[in-house]
Amino acid sequence: MSEDNTMAGRAPAAARAARFEASDDLDAINQLYRERRWSDGLPVVPPTVERVERMLRHTRRAPEEFVARVAPGFGAATVERIAINAVLAGCDPEYLPVLIAATEATADPEFNLQGIQATTNPVAVWLIVNGPLARRLNVNGTCNCLGQGAWANATIGRALRLILQNIGGALPGDMDRATHGQPGKYTFCCAENEDANPWEPLHVERGYAADRSTVTVVGAEGTMNMNSHTKNAGELVRVIAETMIHPPSNEYTHGGEPWLMLGPEHAEILRRGGLSKSELKRRLWEESRMPASRMSGKELQRVRDSRAHELGEITPDTLLPISPRPQDIMIVVAGGPGTHSVYIPCFGNSRAVTREVTGAAIPV
Amino acid sequence: MTICSTAFTTLGRAQARALGHADLPIAVVPHPFGLRSREEIRQIAEQCVDDVVGLVSKAGSK
Repeated sequence: MSEDNTMAGRAPAAARAARFEASDDLDAINQLYRERRWSDGLPVVPPTVERVERMLRHTRRAPEEFVARVAPGFGAATVERIAINAVLAGCDPEYLPVLIAATEATADPEFNLQGIQATTNPVAVWLIVNGPLARRLNVNGTCNCLGQGAWANATIGRALRLILQNIGGALPGDMDRATHGQPGKYTFCCAENEDANPWEPLHVERGYAADRSTVTVVGAEGTMNMNSHTKNAGELVRVIAETMIHPPSNEYTHGGEPWLMLGPEHAEILRRGGLSKSELKRRLWEESRMPASRMSGKELQRVRDSRAHELGEITPDTLLPISPRPQDIMIVVAGGPGTHSVYIPCFGNSRAVTREVTGAAIPV
Repeated sequence: MTICSTAFTTLGRAQARALGHADLPIAVVPHPFGLRSREEIRQIAEQCVDDVVGLVSKAGSK
């Protein structure tokens, strides 16, 4: 084993995963995974040769095929290593192509996985699945879509975390330097509620045909619920914008990419108020501008260091936009009935990345 | 070489190892800076300069 017991930095791109003999006893296997820090703190499904091979039958890609280097340890994520972590997390074999696409997406330089994995910030990787595959795999985008209960949501999100930890080497307290972390680092995955979305779904907005399936990765700091019973679109825009404003924010400091998960009822109020998605973004961008004087002196200096190229001279009277452009505010519609929406502040130095899910195979 | 505060030395060493530079010299300064006076920071900086010179000289003599 390598010194840190992960695959980080030692796996040649085309190597097959090492095999080892282990007891048939589930408790003993979990004890082994616990000692070697190959789990997230929860019991795992033993990745036997048979289980991994069953998983691999659901992609047309070869087991040794290289997918990405995973920061900060830069271990090689091959199709097989992704499959092993998917088994550990309890994934159905059909989920594997989603995880391959998600792993590839996290390695896009725009996503800044190095920063996301090694930072003191609590940022987690949130996965959003769009298109027909979301429905076929039963990825939940309705009631409690960010909560417990859906096998796909729970295990796909968990598997990506295990990939980031076991292949990327981001072990808590070692290369993962999070001050607190957050519960979303166990799992953070949902679908969009495309049927209840009055506008185009996320993947169509990002350039994919409606009948394609995609996964989008987002560097998400957490969730902030917004319960508003208003039926007035203008009021709803105002209270959402006021929720987005918070001085110790990575988004205002760096010019971020804030995300909003609108509940279907709120989305419908906004649509009836005559707002297109782009007009909604513009209104939110305008109304969430924050006087720079609300920040602490240290943060104001950090804003100057980070955003002077974008905003020019920044004084305490400057109205800071949350993102460089209105279109950088990202909107998905998800959830079930209720007067709730969710603000999902993001890491700031990161941009979401979308990849089409391809290579799925139907085993014979 | 690089400089890390104590809280990030584990990350620095692991990152160096992952990138194939396991013997990267790292000068270590105490963490955090935020609550220290300017005079304390100056003393840390002076010590760090000595450490950097020592580490670079050692690496150069190999």
